[in-house]
Amino acid sequence: MTLRPYKILLLCLLPASILYSQNTTFTNNIGMKFVLVRPGSMIVGRFQPTVFKTSQSSDSIYKLALEMAKRDASPGFKVNIAYPFYMSQFEVTQEQWEKVMGANPSYFKGDKVKDDASQHPVENVAWNDAQKFIKKLNELEKGKAVYRLPTEFEWEYAARAGAEDDISWSEIFKSAVIATTTTNMVGKKKPNAWGLYDMLGNVWEWVQDPYNEKIFADPVPLKKGKEHVLKGASFYGDVKNATYMTHAAGPASKYDVGFRIVMEVK
Amino acid sequence: MKIVFLFFIVGFVINVNAQTGKIPEGFRSIFNGKNLKGWHISRSTHQGTTPDFHVEDGVIVAKERPYGQGGLLMTDRHYKDFELYIEVKIDSFANGGIFLRSNEGGAAYQVELVLPGATGDLIGERIPLSKTAKAKDREKVWKAHDWNSFRIRMVADTPHVTLWINDVQMWDITEPKNDMIADAAEGMIALQCHWTALYSPAAGNGMPLLMWHPGAAHRYRNIAIKELK
Repeated sequence: MTLRPYKILLLCLLPASILYSQNTTFTNNIGMKFVLVRPGSMIVGRFQPTVFKTSQSSDSIYKLALEMAKRDASPGFKVNIAYPFYMSQFEVTQEQWEKVMGANPSYFKGDKVKDDASQHPVENVAWNDAQKFIKKLNELEKGKAVYRLPTEFEWEYAARAGAEDDISWSEIFKSAVIATTTTNMVGKKKPNAWGLYDMLGNVWEWVQDPYNEKIFADPVPLKKGKEHVLKGASFYGDVKNATYMTHAAGPASKYDVGFRIVMEVK
Repeated sequence: MKIVFLFFIVGFVINVNAQTGKIPEGFRSIFNGKNLKGWHISRSTHQGTTPDFHVEDGVIVAKERPYGQGGLLMTDRHYKDFELYIEVKIDSFANGGIFLRSNEGGAAYQVELVLPGATGDLIGERIPLSKTAKAKDREKVWKAHDWNSFRIRMVADTPHVTLWINDVQMWDITEPKNDMIADAAEGMIALQCHWTALYSPAAGNGMPLLMWHPGAAHRYRNIAIKELK
């Protein structure tokens, strides 16, 4: 068979048309909302440490700080996300957890908060607990969808929502539940550019990857480790670490850890 | 007469030095002087997750690593009612602290360690503290560029906290309520090395250099605890 140019063009456009024919949002049977995340790339682990000189520090100290900052700086590495996926728009709520698991392990439930606790993120869940929730959710959906934890790169790519550099403190304050004493209801702060809420703040979020005990992820994630990576900071976090770059790990403080999930695109 | 005077001088020096260098009776050591067994690094504090806490000649040394990233060294165990004894030697322009009843992310009651500055003050770290305390007489007992001992007593669900520096009481305070997240009345003891640098200038300026001068260190030794029932 001879392929005419227009046929080649059609073949080239086919994957893109499949991708763009996907619904950009999806709501599953227990009311979890998802946002389609399209393929792309990002730089992970670019470290350009700031040096903030004031009149109280001498020129020689400033020079030494600049030298040390330069010594420890790192260009990071490029990560390609080659496939689309759905990311849950909000952290998994206590209501959603209860629908699937039947009980609510959260500390900040009931009268521990002043508003509707059922719409707060579920917390006090270990990484294995999150896996149990996902297994049960997959069973409930009977193969109609495949759910799992995001990988760290998927999480960071979705959180960046196209941002190439770090997020400014003023943007963090608008979008993240931080510097407070309890979790908040999900979805009350400004969403990121792709419509995802609370990627920063509220609760730390488990991702699939084991922790490498380094400041940032490695280009090839570990297969095994003592702990798993946490992303996004929590309700008592600081603007310092409520950034999508932060590469933290469990166990944290239990009442500050929840998760969100990915639904694979079929 | 001269010999008597000499004995008097020697006795005085020994007496002054007796304030540090030895764990008081009734306390149990929680640092073995060799390694950090019984301690761990917080992986979820905003101070930084890869600080340089290491043991050197029987002393815990705390430094930033990589540049501008601090962190927390925490006891594996949680403590509720206790007296903590710890000797510290701190460089100027290096902000740290002794965290009390800390959670894993570093929300805690904190006795500040910073010179020049508010060393010995009680402040809240990631918690809004109802009542702070000032170590107004700290300079009267402080040994500059040397070891200084801290004894901190913390008891009750609504914390009652007392600080002695070099055996002299600095303050004694009862909080009106428990300010700790989730009403926790126990937690870890942690040692703080403050952060200075953000990951990128796109985020902001970060902390002024004086928060932790490049290469500065805090040192700790003779760390011991007496648990109170």
